[in-house]
Amino acid sequence: MTKLLLDRSAIEAAKKGSADLFILALLDDDDHHGYEIGRQIELRSGGDVRFTMASLYATLYRLEERSLIKGRWVEKAGQRRRRYYRITDSGRAMLATQREDWARFIVALTQVAGVRPA
Amino acid sequence: MTSSIQFRSEIERRVAKSGLVLPDATLDELVAYLDDLHAAALEEGVSADEARRRAMTALEESAFSLLQRHAAQHPDRRQAARADLVAQSAGGRSLNVMSAVRLAIRQFQQHPSFAIVTVMVLGLGVGAATTVFTIVDSVVLRPLPYAQPDQLVTLWDTNTEKGLAHDPLSPVNFMDDRALPVFKDAAAWWRPSVNLVDPGQDPVRVTTIEVSGNLFEVLGVGPQLGTGFPTGGPLYVTNELICVISDRLWRTRYSSDPSIVGRPLVLNGIPYLVQGVMPAKFNYPDDIDVWQRLRWPMERHSRDAHFMEAVARLAPGKTIGEAQAAIDSLTARLAAEFPITNKGWGRRVIPLLDEQLGYYRPALMVLFGAVGLLLIIGCLNVASLLLTRALSREKEIAVRVAMGASPRQLIVQLLAESAVLSVAGAVVGTVAAIVTLPLLVSMMPVTIPRLEEAAVDGRALGLGLAVIIGTTIFFGLVPALVLLRSQIVNDLRTGERGSSRGARTIYSVLVVGEVALACALLVSSGLLVRTVSQMMDTPTGIDAADVVVTSVQLSGRDYADWRKTGRVHGAIIDNIRRQPGVIAAGGSNFLPFEVGWRGGFGIAGEPAAARPEDAPQVQYHSVSDGYFESLGAALAQGRAFAPTDEMDTAGVVVVNESFAQRFFSDGRAVGRVITTTSGAIGPLGLNLVRIRPRDPGTPPPAANAPPVHTPPTSFEVIGVVKDVRNAPFGQPVEPALYFTTRQYTFREQFVTVRAADRASAVAAIRNALQQEAPNVPMGVARTWGERFSIRTAEPRLLMTILLFFGALAGLLAALGVYGLFSWSVALRKRELAIRLTLGARPAEVGALVVRQSAILVVSGLAAGIVIIRLAEGALTRVVFGVSPSDATALITASSLLLIAALIACVPPALRAMRVDPVEGLRAE
Repeated sequence: MTKLLLDRSAIEAAKKGSADLFILALLDDDDHHGYEIGRQIELRSGGDVRFTMASLYATLYRLEERSLIKGRWVEKAGQRRRRYYRITDSGRAMLATQREDWARFIVALTQVAGVRPA
Repeated sequence: MTSSIQFRSEIERRVAKSGLVLPDATLDELVAYLDDLHAAALEEGVSADEARRRAMTALEESAFSLLQRHAAQHPDRRQAARADLVAQSAGGRSLNVMSAVRLAIRQFQQHPSFAIVTVMVLGLGVGAATTVFTIVDSVVLRPLPYAQPDQLVTLWDTNTEKGLAHDPLSPVNFMDDRALPVFKDAAAWWRPSVNLVDPGQDPVRVTTIEVSGNLFEVLGVGPQLGTGFPTGGPLYVTNELICVISDRLWRTRYSSDPSIVGRPLVLNGIPYLVQGVMPAKFNYPDDIDVWQRLRWPMERHSRDAHFMEAVARLAPGKTIGEAQAAIDSLTARLAAEFPITNKGWGRRVIPLLDEQLGYYRPALMVLFGAVGLLLIIGCLNVASLLLTRALSREKEIAVRVAMGASPRQLIVQLLAESAVLSVAGAVVGTVAAIVTLPLLVSMMPVTIPRLEEAAVDGRALGLGLAVIIGTTIFFGLVPALVLLRSQIVNDLRTGERGSSRGARTIYSVLVVGEVALACALLVSSGLLVRTVSQMMDTPTGIDAADVVVTSVQLSGRDYADWRKTGRVHGAIIDNIRRQPGVIAAGGSNFLPFEVGWRGGFGIAGEPAAARPEDAPQVQYHSVSDGYFESLGAALAQGRAFAPTDEMDTAGVVVVNESFAQRFFSDGRAVGRVITTTSGAIGPLGLNLVRIRPRDPGTPPPAANAPPVHTPPTSFEVIGVVKDVRNAPFGQPVEPALYFTTRQYTFREQFVTVRAADRASAVAAIRNALQQEAPNVPMGVARTWGERFSIRTAEPRLLMTILLFFGALAGLLAALGVYGLFSWSVALRKRELAIRLTLGARPAEVGALVVRQSAILVVSGLAAGIVIIRLAEGALTRVVFGVSPSDATALITASSLLLIAALIACVPPALRAMRVDPVEGLRAE
């Protein structure tokens, strides 16, 4: 788990900037519906990265608008209908780019600011 | 699934609090999220309350404003949002309006039926209003083409005792009028009938006046060619005969040859030198082709001879009121000074335009009012259309208000829609007017003065546009205000929203207005129908629909001798009788409906009047033998004239029934003797004395010498003819004396021929003229039926137009009622369902709708009757023989409208009766 030691505002900004990355990365693995996406991200980040309901969906809609993900309604037997999201090809491309950017950024943090993953 | 419902309502509440409206799909997702969160919490083993608390926390911490942008992305909000976003981001005012207009056009393209109906109704209103306004403007409002036309007035004699209100003047009295300082100048004329004979061309009748030399100066018009009458010249010149001709005569008869100026024109056998050609379209006083300069001094004529017409120009700064007052004191002075000729005579001063328009000014103003009403009804219909439409978009408008659209933006949008509709309607209407106007002018059965110059011009267009755009925008704005101002309150009892109730009130007012105006129009047209039928039913005393009538004038040097004139007129009639196909023929100097000369008379054996001016006045007519027969007039007593009643035999006279009833109380007319004093009977009429055989040595009297007073002569009554109408519609038949043309000759007579068919009659006249009077042209030949229909043409025209408008208005009003109640029933489904559930029978529910519509319609009818009362003044001037508050017309119109409206509310009433109570209750 990465405990970021940057100051509060920078961290908030970083969180906001990385929201897309988290969602795209999660969906790269598998299709998920809204609640599941939020829950998985919270779990895998150990509670550090948490979406509110509104901000989660705002992000999802924004990604869908940019055709990076696509949502569809699914009705499984015995369950209420849910909207599942899937990453698109352009989403994958964007994911690759973002991973690269963040990797370089982390290298810079490491080499310049002496940030080390715990 | 109870928790889902709770979550949903909680979500909706919070979302609404942040001022959003989210699509159902999004709400579903959010509900699913909370459900999942709740379920996950339960799976962890926490209590139900804790699980619920977690869900609520997730809800509370959500800032829904984040979703604003995305709510707008939902497809069914896209259009509305796009416009708002564009408006917000642009900020500029013009972009706001333009995008609103574009949006409006797009919306109408998607749902064209509403737009088409609205544009058609508006186009109809604009087209009708523009056309009628153009006509009214051209005929009534446009100033006359003379210098300072509002300073020009006409003068007419009046005499209340004799029942005269619009009589020609005496030239001597005219000269006294002219001398008044209140007039700058005045001109007078009389109307001889003139034959124009040019070598190598057919002789032709030309409409001529002999006029004082200052006419054109008074009017302020000069010739286009030549010098005209010398400016500042004398009123008359005896030995210099000059004339001026019209542009029309110049073009048609002389091929616009400029050398006509200075050439002589032979008028009635006398050469007149042409001094000028008047400008195009100048035919003052009406249809004149030749203006001859007066050849005799007016002041030396007789005060008793009323045969001239006059126009005067007021002195600068003087008003008509001052002129009338000055003339009144003058006539009073003259009456005192010359009691024999002037007692009882007054003078009227009438503005020139009013004089020229006669019937048409009031008729056109009524028409203008009628079309205005139609326009208003059209606008009311459009207003209700716009209102209904606005209300059906309540939801959309509510969304946009919720999404932050400012009232200003909404108003701009609604105004843009109204503007698009009104502009489209105006374009349609203008095109229709431009196309219709020439058609209408060419189809007009009557000659309305100045109508041929009507062309749709800027003013008419401007008026139409202004009315339409103003009305449409106003009525586009009212629904907006209704919606924006009111709360959407559910009336639990009826299920109606507060906004709908306000709209329903406005709609009801609109319908009442439409019914009122339609009622006014229908009643007016009903009055005209009654007028025309009164006219048609007026007894004429003749049966002459197919009798051909034409005028023949014997004048000039050839006919200076009265004996010859009388003889030739007689010969012409005799000749016509001998022609094939002719059943009867005759002549007269006045046709039915025309008022004859007026003169005094006495009855032999009864005390003469104390003074000549106290003698009773009756009409003098001169008719040939065969005249009464040709017209189908019946005799009540005695006989009609025969060819044996000659110039040199005893004087004979026929009286009409009115005369016999008035003056022969014992009923015995035949055999009585009438005495006449010659006085002036028109400018050329001469009595028995003048045409009695005279000594060969004495020279014949000059053709135009003024008549002199001579001792009375006697005529024996040989017959009584049943009244032939000798007064216009609406006035009673007057007592009349009929003399035979052989004894009482006039230069001009109307020849009446009853024949097997029209062609035979016309051929007979032509042949007879060729044989008896080869140089004499035949006037226009028309049947009496055609002449009669011309007399009634104006009211018939007005009646037709008003009926058309009335029917249209009634239709629109009925549509308005239908629309209102259809819509109202749809809105009140819940109320009606409740009524039905509570035990009301369907018939009662239907009756409720019908009753409510009847109340509206009756209110409208009452208002319509009030409007008629207000318009009574205008209506009185165009109707004859019927009062504007005529009960028949009122009742008929009201009944028609009531029936139409009741029929219109039957479908909604049926729908109300068929409301399914269960469905109705569920409708909300």
